[in-house]
Amino acid sequence: MKVKVDKTLVASVALHVLVIGWGLVSFSSRAIDQIPEESLPVDIISADQLAKVTAGMKSGKKENPKPLVEKVAEAKPVDDAVGKITEKPPVITETAPPPQPKVEEKPVEKKPDPPKPVAESKPKEEPKPIEKKPDPPKVDSIAEALKKEEKKTPPKPQVQAAKPPEPAKPKTERTFDQSKIAALLDKRDPSRQAVVGETLNSNAALGLPKGKSADNSATWGAMFKDQVLRCWKKPYGGIEAQRVEAEFSIKLKKDGTLEGMPAAQTAPGGAFQRVFQESGLRAIIECAPYRLPPAFFDEWKDFNPVFDSRDL
Amino acid sequence: MSKQHKLTNATFRMGRRQFLSGLASSGLIFSGVHHAFGQARVPVTGGEAAPLPIAIPNFVAGSPADAEVGVGVTQVITNNLKRSGLFAPIDQAAYIERISNIDTAPQFQNWKTISAQALVTGRMTRQGDGRLKAEFRLWDVNTAQQLAGQQYFTSPEYWRRIAHIISDQIYERLTGEKGYFDSRVVFVDETGSKERRVKRLALMDQDGANVRYLTRGSDLVLTPRFSPSTQEITYMEFGQGDPRVYLYNIETGQREIVGNFPGMSFAPRFSPDGQRVIMSLQQGGNSNLFVMDLRSKSTTRLTDTPAIDTSPSYAPDGTRLCFESDRGGKPQIYVMPATGGPAQRISFGDASYSTPVWSPRGDYIAFTRQGGGQFSIGIMKPDGSGERILTSGFHNEGPTFAPNGRVLMFFRDPGGNGGPSLFTVDISGRNEQRVPTPGFASDPAWSPLLS
Repeated sequence: MKVKVDKTLVASVALHVLVIGWGLVSFSSRAIDQIPEESLPVDIISADQLAKVTAGMKSGKKENPKPLVEKVAEAKPVDDAVGKITEKPPVITETAPPPQPKVEEKPVEKKPDPPKPVAESKPKEEPKPIEKKPDPPKVDSIAEALKKEEKKTPPKPQVQAAKPPEPAKPKTERTFDQSKIAALLDKRDPSRQAVVGETLNSNAALGLPKGKSADNSATWGAMFKDQVLRCWKKPYGGIEAQRVEAEFSIKLKKDGTLEGMPAAQTAPGGAFQRVFQESGLRAIIECAPYRLPPAFFDEWKDFNPVFDSRDL
Repeated sequence: MSKQHKLTNATFRMGRRQFLSGLASSGLIFSGVHHAFGQARVPVTGGEAAPLPIAIPNFVAGSPADAEVGVGVTQVITNNLKRSGLFAPIDQAAYIERISNIDTAPQFQNWKTISAQALVTGRMTRQGDGRLKAEFRLWDVNTAQQLAGQQYFTSPEYWRRIAHIISDQIYERLTGEKGYFDSRVVFVDETGSKERRVKRLALMDQDGANVRYLTRGSDLVLTPRFSPSTQEITYMEFGQGDPRVYLYNIETGQREIVGNFPGMSFAPRFSPDGQRVIMSLQQGGNSNLFVMDLRSKSTTRLTDTPAIDTSPSYAPDGTRLCFESDRGGKPQIYVMPATGGPAQRISFGDASYSTPVWSPRGDYIAFTRQGGGQFSIGIMKPDGSGERILTSGFHNEGPTFAPNGRVLMFFRDPGGNGGPSLFTVDISGRNEQRVPTPGFASDPAWSPLLS
């Protein structure tokens, strides 16, 4: 018995020592080879933000590396500026301002509820019911929603339809009526902006590490900021200085030195704006060369730092 | 047949050309978009406001005899900029390059090495006619550009004034705000023991140099105030009878009583145009505000209340004035139209507020706040909002604004056997500095810019 046990034990120990010893030697040699990557500032982002950064979708397939594009982006930057101004204002006004009045008005409608003492918006009661009616007819597919964005008139009813769900919440806490669950559902039509890009691509994709744009500026941008802040002697602008911004266009070489004089992108308005801009220019020049991750050289070889007078 | 062939050929060529032009334009489109995406905007926010490192080598001597004045001017400029708190002059011992000719550009790399962001070079030269020529250049070290350059001629004894003027130029060019160095301060000089204190009216440069005594000290003087013309001072003096408001001409030494009123007159101050003096007149247990035109000597009553209204101060545009009144029970600050009329209370709280002064910039009213056993100096906006306390302690009183509204001077008495001395503080509350005076000093009043 004893002999038997000893044999297996010895064999087991020997085998373990062998395996572990081999593992130690072989693994350790590889670890030494590893080249340390430059450290990057890390932010925790949500799945939505990741999808935005990578321009990917969950439903995408690996075979489709290119991001989904439903609409070709407008070509010339100059045209963009003009075109966007006309497009954007309607979108903003439709979504932003209406929700505020409605939140206040809702409690008023449900006067029977004792806890709601908001009586300021009484006169507005009448218009509200009329607005709510449009809700039911809106059952649209994504494609229809896209069309609506182009024609700017339909979106208004959408916003109105969206408001009812918010006020309904306080009610449910008091009396929960199962038969009226439908009323609690978000009846908003799904609306979103068309994904734009250089060329049309109808396939949903998992996305690329960089997505469609140089969004990694958040990582190397923070490194640049840390470095330039060391040289920036921000001027004191009194205790209530007006907020001032100074934007420069700078070109960097691979070694982080400046390729030329930074070009100011903002015209100096007042005396303080000029002083502020000069302080930024001095800082950029004094702190060069910059140590930025070489992997993103394509992005930081040409970018625009924006100095902001706010204290953050 | 051949004709038809030619035709198709032509259309084909057209098509290819179109295709090529299409390619080219799409290439343009691509590069344009790429450009837009590539130039990421990188926000640079935060960052502490910091004093600007500046190098001020000794001004070059135009002739061997001018070396001393060159060093003096440099020291005055360095001291001014340093005291402002907005500049950090670099020690001359660190300098690598010796400036010997200001007409050629300096070697900026030498100044970059010592982290100077601005460089001042200058030269003092005695002229044949006995005058002194002062030249200076202000350089941006990093961009290798000249930011400012001036030359001045003056009599040799005014070299300090030249240094102050150059300091103002540098300050204005690098901060975007008007300077305040070429200005003076009138104050009450105090000497002797606490029981037998002698108070004399004294005048000095803003940095504490060139002290001059205006009165002998036989009579008690209080609350001197500068006229906008800077040649005249109004103050209150206890003579043989009641305290009176006097007008004093700095140039001639002449003094006169402002108006001939029964009872005590006190707390005088000039209007922004220098043509009128506003003050308090005592009437029984009350006092009210009156304004007197210095040319016509006509007097106008501005308030008529059964309370003590005093310490009036005009807004820089002359349309309104702030004053102190205890009509609400405790001294508080009120604002009213310069022609009289309804007054609006702007200070609230448990403490009492006194000695309001309107900033020459118009944006703030400085005051003394007494409460909780402490005297504080603070500022608030003319509508009473944005109150902030800049300093507090056993006894702080009598704020007065620098000509640019950026710095306050006040006096502080630490208590005990000592006496008061003068201090300056930035209206942000930073950079508190003691102002050198020969003895104890109180009741400062800052002059407007001399030039």
